[in-house]
This record gives sequence, structure tokens and C-alpha cells, in this order.
Amino acid sequence: MTDLLTMLDEAGLTGRGGAAFSTATKVRAAREHRAELIVNVCDGEVGAAKDGWIVEHHLHELIEGAGLVAGDGTRRAVRYAAHRGSRTASLLAAAGLGVLEVPHRYVSSEETAVISAAHGGLARPMTKRAPFVFGGRDSQGRRIAPTVVLNAETVWRVSQVARFGPRWFRSFGTTDEPGPRLVAVGGHVPRPGVYEAAAGVALSDLLSLAGGLPPDARHVGVGGLGGVVLTASAALSTIWDTPGMKRHGGALGPGIVTVWDPYACPIDVAGELIAYGAGESAGQCGPCMFGLPALSQAWGELGRRPGVPAQERLQQRLSLLERRGACHHPDGVARFAASALGTLAAEFAAHADHRCQKERRPHAQFA
Amino acid sequence: MSGQAFWFLSRATGVVSVVLLTVVVCLGMVTAGRRRPHGESATVVMGVHRWLSLGMLVFLAVHIVTAIVDGYVPIGWLAVVLPFSSPYQTLLVGLGTVAVDLLVVLMVTSYLRHRIPERRWRIIHWTSYAMWLAALAHGFAMGTSDQPGLRLTTIACGTVGGLFVAWRLVASHADRERRQEINAQEWT
Repeated sequence: MTDLLTMLDEAGLTGRGGAAFSTATKVRAAREHRAELIVNVCDGEVGAAKDGWIVEHHLHELIEGAGLVAGDGTRRAVRYAAHRGSRTASLLAAAGLGVLEVPHRYVSSEETAVISAAHGGLARPMTKRAPFVFGGRDSQGRRIAPTVVLNAETVWRVSQVARFGPRWFRSFGTTDEPGPRLVAVGGHVPRPGVYEAAAGVALSDLLSLAGGLPPDARHVGVGGLGGVVLTASAALSTIWDTPGMKRHGGALGPGIVTVWDPYACPIDVAGELIAYGAGESAGQCGPCMFGLPALSQAWGELGRRPGVPAQERLQQRLSLLERRGACHHPDGVARFAASALGTLAAEFAAHADHRCQKERRPHAQFA
Repeated sequence: MSGQAFWFLSRATGVVSVVLLTVVVCLGMVTAGRRRPHGESATVVMGVHRWLSLGMLVFLAVHIVTAIVDGYVPIGWLAVVLPFSSPYQTLLVGLGTVAVDLLVVLMVTSYLRHRIPERRWRIIHWTSYAMWLAALAHGFAMGTSDQPGLRLTTIACGTVGGLFVAWRLVASHADRERRQEINAQEWT
């Protein structure tokens, strides 16, 4: 029991769902409060695929990891949260595991939304006054039993740390961000899929795993809707670790790299993602239920009529979303929009001249 | 002070209380039903709603104390808190007591609002409509029965309040509409 916690501490495993919180600390708290364990297998972020990949290829190790985390003192059997009707959900059910089906929505795979659904509530985020591993109350004052949610990859890595030891684990990645990590590389690449990587590799090497960055590629998204967008040239010179991604306002996140279709207008692509994010609001906090649709509208206006007034309006909307909303959904969408606004400056300038990358290809012809 | 003075004082403060209460209730409806909460005006409305309700307590306290101290009719101190315990006009004095009790609940829960789940506070605060109606009925039927001026004041209060209630029911509310729209989506 304590052996596992020591090993996790030594290995330096952190949550692979994106928050990068110490797994040892979380598991220790879960043990102390005999918290129910829910494994998050939702692949909730846009472009995510690794949770499903683990279920498909390493299910028995996932179950083993869940058993190790849960120990034998939990209140009830481990459950696996997956999107309703997904292939992952049916694979889990076929394996005889307890499946917690949540609606196929962006915010429903958020930690507290999963906990709410697990306690018979709606799959919407709850205010986290204290971590729910200690137990707590929902917004209506109903009691929520101690519950811990771990990402599927985190649980899988726990079983690997237990089997191969912390030293093996630390032979991957960097000193600050050790261990192997799964990355879903998708979009405009020759071989989209889920690949084994680690922090500290060049983004270009990550892309090589999927067949390399095509020469006509122009933009690369890292981290999905909660992440950032880079130009292809910036992506090729970026190291995939926290310091490298921080330079672009991003983070390692849940392991997603998406090459954008170079034949679609990138302003539209970003706009669609922002509109999707606005539509996924759970309608609980003002900045989210009103701020995100307003942001989406401001983005659309800037794309149609670029100029100082539209730009200022968008900037104003963005500044109003910073650090707002109980589950930080607006924060994530705003971060993405701010990143896209900077990265797509050339495209907005082209739109102002009534040109667009989509109309003629490649865009460089106009230069 | 002679008994006559108590009687006048009790009537006057009672009517003022009803008027102030109506203003407080209307401001509350404006706060709850406003379409767009504009910064300063919303703060002013909220502030007046709160402070006027406290100011009204002074008039209400004088109204109650003078009515009992007057002694011309038997009411009794118990009737301040226990509804329908007054020997005189059991039903009508009781309505006033009901309003006072509800008022105490509303004030205590609002004072402790930061310690109560928002939804629970809101449900409790809805009883302010019942409290207002009880106070209006009490005032209309008792204090102003032989004074057309005072009776008209009560009627005016009821009319104005009724118009605000109608506005509150009809007014569209961006927050409520967006919440309903999102609640109708799949969340389970």
C-alpha cells in the first residue's frame, strides 16, 4: 500500500488529463478518505483519443492500475466514466466493468461534472470549495461522498510504475516532467493516431510519428479547445514541454496535437471551435453562458470586418473572461481565442484586404 | 402621551410601513426581473432595497408598540409573534403577525445569505410576496376602514405592487431564458 505511494512519489507521476497534479498526493488523499474511484475515459478534449486507445490496447493494465489505486478500502467498486454510446463505453461494458455514462459534451467530462453524474446529479461542473476527495456538497447542498477522478492514462501509468519501477518511469521525459506520455496526433497528417512520447521532445519529432508535418500545413493546434494554435514554422521550432509550450501561452495539456486543414479558412476553423465551446456552456456561470456566445460573435465579426473597432471589441470580451467561471471552461476557450488571434494576425490582415487562404491556394501566392 | 396620540401614531406609522414595504418589494422585483443589470443603477436599487427595508423596521416597531400600549383594544404582547392570538380582531391582527414573522425570517436569512445555499435563500425570499399581501390585507381591513385617504393609500400600494408583479411575470429575463435553453439540453 504505502509502497505504491512511495513509488508514485519517486516516479513523479502527474495527472495526464491536463491538470498535471501530483498523482501520489491525490491517491494518498483518496486512501485517507476511502474515496470512491472513477477512471475518466471520456477523451473529453477536442481531438483527444488516448483514453479510448488505452481501453482498446491496454485494458487489463488499466484495470490493474485502478485496483492498485483503489486498494481495498473503497466504499464502492471502481467506475469508468465514458461518453454515452461511444465505442469506449461499449468496450468497457463488454469487459464487465462498471460504466458511468456521461453525455457526449465538452464540460461533462470535467472532473466535478463526472462526480456530479456519479452521485445521480446532472453531468455539469460543480463549485469546488475543497477537493471532492474530501467529500463535499453540490450547489443545492446535497452531500457528495468522497470521490476521486483519475484520467485513464494516469491509472495506466500507475500500473506501469508498479510493474517497472520509478527508475524506468524517470528514464522518459525531463527531470521536471518525467515519464512516458500518450499524444493523439491528428488532422492534416499522413498517419493520425495515438503515439507514445514524452515531455521534452521536439514538436516536429511528435509530428514525425504521424508521418511528419506536410509541407502545405500552415497551423498546428496543441491541446485542443483548451490549448493554443501555432503557425507551422513556430511549431517546428518548439519543444513539447511546459517551458516550451508556455512561450506560446500553452501547456502540455491532455496530449493533443492537431494539424489544421490548410485548405480551410483558419479564422473559420478557430471560429467554429469557439462557437462549439460557447454551445457547450453548462449555463451556470454568467461569464460562461453569456461571455462565450459574446466572444464567439465578436470573433465572427472580426473575421467578416477586420478593423480596430472589431478587434477592440474582441479584446474586451477576452479580458472579461480571464479567470472566470467555476470550472474554468470560459478561461480555456478565451486562452484558445487569444492564441488564435495572435497566430492568425496575417490571416486577419488578408481578410481586411478581402483575401482569404481558402479562396486560392496556397496562400503564399498573394504575398 | 394620551391614548388618543398612541392611536394616531399607530395608524400613521402603520400606513407609512405599508408604503415603505411596497416600495421595498417593488425594488426587489426590479432587482430580480431586470433585463440588463447596469452597473450603477443596479447597485443603487439594491442599496435602497436593503436600507429602506431596515428603515421601515423603525416605523413598524412604533406601529406595533403603540398599538399594544394604547390599550383601548386588547391585543397583548404575545400577538406580536404568535399569529391569531389577539383577542381583538383575531384574524386581521393575525395577518399582521404573520407578516411580521415572515419579515423576521426574510431579514435573518438575508443577513446570513452568504452562509445559505443561493437557491434556498431565493425560495425563502419568495415568501416576501405572501408577507406583502398579508400586510396589505391587514392594513386595508383594519387601520383604514373609516378613512378614505388612508384606504386609498393602501389601494394605491396594492395597485402599484400588482403592476410590478405583472411586469415581473411578463418581462423576459436573459439569465432565466439562457438557463432554460441550456437546461433543456442533454445533461444526464
